[in-house]
Amino acid sequence: MAKLILKNVFKRYDDRKKKKGGKLADFAVNDLTITCSDGEFVGILGPSGCGKTTTLRMVAGLEEITAGEIYIDDTLINHLHPKDRGIGLAFEDYALYPPLTVYDNIAFNLRAKKMSEADIKKEVMRIAPLMKVEELLDMKPAALSGGQKQRVNITRALVRRPKLLLLDEPLSHLDGKMRQILRTELKRLHKEVGCTTIIVTHDQLEAMSLSDKICIMKDGLLQQFGTPYEVYDDPVNVFVAGFIGEPPMNLNKVTITEEDNILYFSFPESSVKIAVPSKYTKVLKTGRHVTLGIRPNDLLIAEDGSPVKIAVFENLGDEKRIGIRIGDEYLTLITSDETLYKQGDIIRIKVHEEKTHIFDIETGDKIRA
Amino acid sequence: MFSENQSLLSRLIQNLLLIIYSIFALFPLFWMALITFKSDLQMFNTTFFFTPTLDNYKAVLIGTDYIKTFIDNVIVSGGAVLVSVIAGVPAAYALARFNFKYKEDLAFTILSFKFAPEILVILPLFMIYQKLHLYDTYLGLIWVYQLITMPLLIWVVRGYFEDISVEVEQAAELDGYPWYSVFWKILLPLIKPGLVASALLAFIFAWNSFTFSLQLSGFNIQTVTVASLRYIASDTVHYGQMAVAATIAALPEVILALLIQKHLVRGLSFGAVKG
Repeated sequence: MAKLILKNVFKRYDDRKKKKGGKLADFAVNDLTITCSDGEFVGILGPSGCGKTTTLRMVAGLEEITAGEIYIDDTLINHLHPKDRGIGLAFEDYALYPPLTVYDNIAFNLRAKKMSEADIKKEVMRIAPLMKVEELLDMKPAALSGGQKQRVNITRALVRRPKLLLLDEPLSHLDGKMRQILRTELKRLHKEVGCTTIIVTHDQLEAMSLSDKICIMKDGLLQQFGTPYEVYDDPVNVFVAGFIGEPPMNLNKVTITEEDNILYFSFPESSVKIAVPSKYTKVLKTGRHVTLGIRPNDLLIAEDGSPVKIAVFENLGDEKRIGIRIGDEYLTLITSDETLYKQGDIIRIKVHEEKTHIFDIETGDKIRA
Repeated sequence: MFSENQSLLSRLIQNLLLIIYSIFALFPLFWMALITFKSDLQMFNTTFFFTPTLDNYKAVLIGTDYIKTFIDNVIVSGGAVLVSVIAGVPAAYALARFNFKYKEDLAFTILSFKFAPEILVILPLFMIYQKLHLYDTYLGLIWVYQLITMPLLIWVVRGYFEDISVEVEQAAELDGYPWYSVFWKILLPLIKPGLVASALLAFIFAWNSFTFSLQLSGFNIQTVTVASLRYIASDTVHYGQMAVAATIAALPEVILALLIQKHLVRGLSFGAVKG
């Protein structure tokens, strides 16, 4: 149980500095400041190469910190040896010790602490049921499936009684079904153990379903840090808006036009217009180009809407995804409507105007009323 | 080797060919063993039936200091492999794990020691060894044998280290083990097949080495390969005694090869391509 604080943390790899001359963009992690409260489940989310694993490894002590401070429970851990930081780390590719049995793998850390064999046995037996690995204890890692290896890997991290549990892409090498099962187990595990947990992932669904708070990174920079609801409902920029949500938010370039004293978002090469919500009327001027963000489920099929042509129709069973074209722009909408459309059909759509997001076309930042 | 659905005939033919090949390959060994029991008079006839005699064995084992040369050979070859393991395993680890300038060049240089024929470097080495008083010493031979044993060991073991995920070591570090117990408990068991195979192969190469021991030793220390030459006398060649010397010299290798043949193939082919 612990609180984790990262204060203005930077990371730069030396070989990058030499190659590119040490520009600011070369930081693998750039001025990262986040606070994880006791018992929280925090997801670090971002595309590959965004610095999320580097961040985790700095917390674990496997990477040196170029600048900044990391605290666990008010103790500065920058120069503490990994084993003294009170963390448990589950590696991405499991990193089990191949010559040892699962039992010995789990007991490995306890042996380092010179615990008696009887106590080790007690401890392993206490932890093993949590991740359901009792059956596997006599097996060698080579005989395990991917899912089983990951269970053992996490068990091994837990047996250290960590104040902080770090999970590095724990589900990314598993197949779809196993991934779902283990995801649920992770959630249950966190409830049972209650230890502060950080999970690194590139899968937004994983982050959304597991985390209490999500930290979204891109190119080493923190984009947004908030609850899953916040990052979904109020993304700070185009990147977060496009990253969270499946299917992703429709992000289209529109122009502000005025007609009878009412402002509209107008799609280029099209007559389709969407009224600008009244709260934005003060910040938007006629003629300005902005990026309009509409979640696929905020686009509605309605009798009194504007006619558009269907470009793609996907029937996923319980939901249908319809790809439509408005002028040059492509949008996706989700409906649970029973009607089966086909390509080329004309449907009428309306937009949940209050739920639209607008972003500056240059900076990508959200424009707020 | 043989899959289930192969016909009996093709299996028979395959086995037959293998048997013919083994006879072909093993016949020199067999003939060598045979003539150890022949007297000098019978040496040049090709009959398989003769009155066996142990005179050659008596002459070699009791008449000369062959046993001492055998022990010398064990010391020199064994010592060379031991030094190679002690120095080569860390070197292989460094070449596999760390990034430093000219890493590949260094690795290639080590490998290139095996390219040049020994005779090419023997003359300068001879001069240097005379000056350094390494000539005709165990240390001198063990040192120069590194040219034979070290490159092989480093390159095989390096492949094994490269196959081990760095994260395994980091996990052990997180578990609170010092590096030497990580090495002993985790890494060593993983590289063992490669280490055993390459060390034994290196031992055989060192055991068979002729040029170095011929030129860089001779009075105090003599290896079996060089000692075999002694049975060429001024008046005649004692083929029987020479065969005894060669047979005894080949015995350890044959025994080793039989013991480790499974490891040898696995150990040398596994590491590099496993991942």
